[in-house]
Amino acid sequence: MNVIVGVADMKVSNDLDSMVVTYSLGSCIGIGVYDEVARAGGIAHFMLPESKLDLTKAQKNPYMFADTCIPRLFKSMYKLGATKQKMRVIVVGGAQILDSKGFFNIGKRNCMAVKKIFWKNNVMVSYKDVEGSVNRTLKLTIKSGEFRLKTSGGKEIEI
Amino acid sequence: MTDIKKLIKKIDKLEPISRISQKVLSIIEDPESSASELSEIISYDQAVTANLLKMCNSSYFGLSRQIDSVHHAIVFLGIDQVAKIVLMSCAAKNLKQKQSGYDLQENELWRHSVASALITRDLIEKKGQKQNYLIFTAALLKDIGKLVLSQHVGDSFEEINSLVTKHGLSFAEAEQKVIGIDHAELGAMIADKWKLSSEIVDIIRNHHQPKKSLKNKFETCVVHLADIICMMLGIGLGADGLAYRLDNSMLEYLEFTEIDIQIIMAGFGEKLEKVEELVGIS
Repeated sequence: MNVIVGVADMKVSNDLDSMVVTYSLGSCIGIGVYDEVARAGGIAHFMLPESKLDLTKAQKNPYMFADTCIPRLFKSMYKLGATKQKMRVIVVGGAQILDSKGFFNIGKRNCMAVKKIFWKNNVMVSYKDVEGSVNRTLKLTIKSGEFRLKTSGGKEIEI
Repeated sequence: MTDIKKLIKKIDKLEPISRISQKVLSIIEDPESSASELSEIISYDQAVTANLLKMCNSSYFGLSRQIDSVHHAIVFLGIDQVAKIVLMSCAAKNLKQKQSGYDLQENELWRHSVASALITRDLIEKKGQKQNYLIFTAALLKDIGKLVLSQHVGDSFEEINSLVTKHGLSFAEAEQKVIGIDHAELGAMIADKWKLSSEIVDIIRNHHQPKKSLKNKFETCVVHLADIICMMLGIGLGADGLAYRLDNSMLEYLEFTEIDIQIIMAGFGEKLEKVEELVGIS
């Protein structure tokens, strides 16, 4: 069964028959997590770096912003028996359009937000594929813990 | 390089945008036309009418009552909104198709087109300007050239992609270099052939380089920015990804800051489920 993670969304699962997928990350970031002991994993797909942009929207949908989305992803994983130390953490997305003056840095700002939150909380990133001007799709098979990444113009690879 | 003449001949194989959309456009252009004229024209076409009613009753518009006639649709949503729904309904057939050369699955190009068109409304609103059907239509049809170019992009993908990834060209620039024409120029030719207004043709032609539009600068800048926001949100992206150039002069011209763009993205993000419903119905 495919569990689809939309834009500004988060899903975790310990259903061994499920595959968690988030399609087409542009400047948004997808964070994939998997704990092989708990055999549970999930993906969060947030759009923007900071909830202070609009606290009402953040309250309505916390998965829109990095700082309100990421803590919820980890807390949901802990509820499934996962621990921070055992979790494999994948970070993909944060792409940019071609912008010579760097005016439009939302992808980069999203990457910075993740870096800051993970540094504060001692989270080690196992695999990262960010920035550039490609869109990315991330898949996680819960039974095996296998992550697969597809970038535009490229083939799907195991990561 | 591809024989451009042969490519242009392929335009004739596309199903032309239906006559009803051209009539709707001419009605909106005419300040003396009435709601009843619009209602009459739409009502002649059963398929368009059925689609219009389904879309009006979708959660995107959030109406508190059921709309069961074209007349009611115009009363509750207004001429402008109804005209835009009809235009969407007419454009859907071509844009819903899978475009293998761009690695766009069925419905993906349509999803991108609808989302871009709807984002233009948010941008215009933010600027405090009157909603403009020209911008909406151009945003909806801006990538129509991909329908004709898709196979050629697929055939030359390695070469195009190499120019993008190794030489820093935008995807449109690489299309131009390898095939001899890009999807924006080809889209403008299609719009012209379909007898859409010269303004729409100009906006489609320049939607990746709005500074080249001398007569419709505001409109072209809005479509350019809506396209970019849509790409950043990852809506309906294909093998070309986000490899398009931002025209910095556009942001200065529209006087938008990055925070303004983030606010618009957040606002649109909130509506995404409703947009999906609209994409599914149309």
